[in-house]
Amino acid sequence: MATVIKEVELSWLDRTYLWPILKGMVITFKHFIRQLFTPTSKRYTVQYPDAKKEMPAGYRGLHELKRFEDGSIKCVACFMCAEACPARCITIEAEEFSDLNQTQGFEEKRPKVFKIDMLRCIYCGYCEEACPKDAIWLRTDYELSAYDRLEMQFGKWDLMNTYAKKDGKPEISTDPKPAVPHKPVEM
Amino acid sequence: MDSLAQLLHLTPATLWMIVKVLLVFGGPFTIASLLTWVERRGSAMIQDRIGPNRAALFGKWRLLGLPQIVADGIKAFLKEDLVPPHAVGILFWLAPLFAFVPAVLGFAVIPFGQSFTIGNTQYHMSLLDPGNGMGMLYPMAIGAVAIYGVLTAAWSSNNKWSILGGMRVSAQMISYELAMSLAVVAIFMRTGNAGPPTFLEAYDPHRIVAAQAGLWNVIPQFLGFVVFSTCMFAETNRLPFDFAEGESEIVAGYLTEFGSMKFALMYLSEYVHIVTAAALIVTLYLGGWQIPFVADPGALLSVAAFLAKLLIVCWVFIWVRWTLPRFRYDQLMALGWKVMLPLALGNLMLHAWWMHRAAM
Repeated sequence: MATVIKEVELSWLDRTYLWPILKGMVITFKHFIRQLFTPTSKRYTVQYPDAKKEMPAGYRGLHELKRFEDGSIKCVACFMCAEACPARCITIEAEEFSDLNQTQGFEEKRPKVFKIDMLRCIYCGYCEEACPKDAIWLRTDYELSAYDRLEMQFGKWDLMNTYAKKDGKPEISTDPKPAVPHKPVEM
Repeated sequence: MDSLAQLLHLTPATLWMIVKVLLVFGGPFTIASLLTWVERRGSAMIQDRIGPNRAALFGKWRLLGLPQIVADGIKAFLKEDLVPPHAVGILFWLAPLFAFVPAVLGFAVIPFGQSFTIGNTQYHMSLLDPGNGMGMLYPMAIGAVAIYGVLTAAWSSNNKWSILGGMRVSAQMISYELAMSLAVVAIFMRTGNAGPPTFLEAYDPHRIVAAQAGLWNVIPQFLGFVVFSTCMFAETNRLPFDFAEGESEIVAGYLTEFGSMKFALMYLSEYVHIVTAAALIVTLYLGGWQIPFVADPGALLSVAAFLAKLLIVCWVFIWVRWTLPRFRYDQLMALGWKVMLPLALGNLMLHAWWMHRAAM
């Protein structure tokens, strides 16, 4: 590929080097003054633990296993997400059930164990795309850290119940088996 | 002052000396440690960031991030003092001192305020009284000694990055010292020629300041001012001439092997250097403690004026650092020898010719 080199003819004022320095200093000083008189809340920096960044709707963060209105799990343990996962971080064990009280309709299969190893997950969102039932979603939560590795193994009830809304209320109140967020699950 | 001296069983002269020593040693240190804060917060503002603002006194008062200075100091004290096994022991311990002491010593002759008289005694606002025979030559000489600090640190670290940084910076400082001294000689000439006749030598800072009563040197000697300030940037190893370090090339240069309090001392001495350099620029070119259109500002006001000028020049040092990219090494040498030295010589010749014309 040819590169076009543009010769720039500098004026004598620019070649003194002193004048361009002064121009540059004026630019930096403008930035200084502007930043000095901008209130902290309006600056670019988000002061993280005090103020948190609102992630855009398409952000791929922590997973959520969706439920029906009555609280039963949408997942039918078809293993599509586990297959699609490039990091192989999803472990599913299926079980049969026949509880017709639930709105799950004609399904008779659900996950007994649904485990995501958050340390391996790369948050690519393929599981979300692969799911035929829209049962697994990626939320905008991004604060995923723990003090040991075990805490980063998210089980079924963690993925169903972890999430609290912004005001601290849990998303689903009819919770058959609540789990404390970020609670270590038995392996 | 006399009664206070009597109370302390001292002669007024001794008391004044003690006060001056405290001022001259404490002042630059205080300003230097404040400068570390100004540097970090100021650079953040220039780059549209916020800067350190988390450290808080008793976990409560953040005070615009000022407690960060204290936090840094405590951290430096408590860190493990690691001496690498290949370092040259005693020099490694002495290097921070060699870097630190010259930085403070340079301040000794700078007049930081107008002399005042109580009773029959005249008190001078500089550590060494006028007429000491060294005058402005002394900070120049001390500035040259500052190279030893860098070089000792580089050599004793026994590390290729350190020695490269040290060698580079010593070559740089020596190159720019020539132009700097020549720029100052023009001031000595002018001062010797003008002003009321006194017993002081033309290179005495008190006389230089007194000679600037009507017109600051920066206007008739603008060329010299540019050369001198540029050389001061080189002497203090500030950007755009910070060849002692170089993250992408030689890690931290001569500071590579230094940690904890040794590093803190080196780091602080860099800022004391800036304060001293700013004081030199103020004394030589910006009228020292003079205030425009005020013939006799008095002791307190003159000190305030000096301090204000000093702080502004210090801020310019920081401001330039966050404006300019660094030079390449050959560009630095070319600038020093092919531009700064001829400019300083030209300035000298110009003023010599000027004075010759005026005398005829």
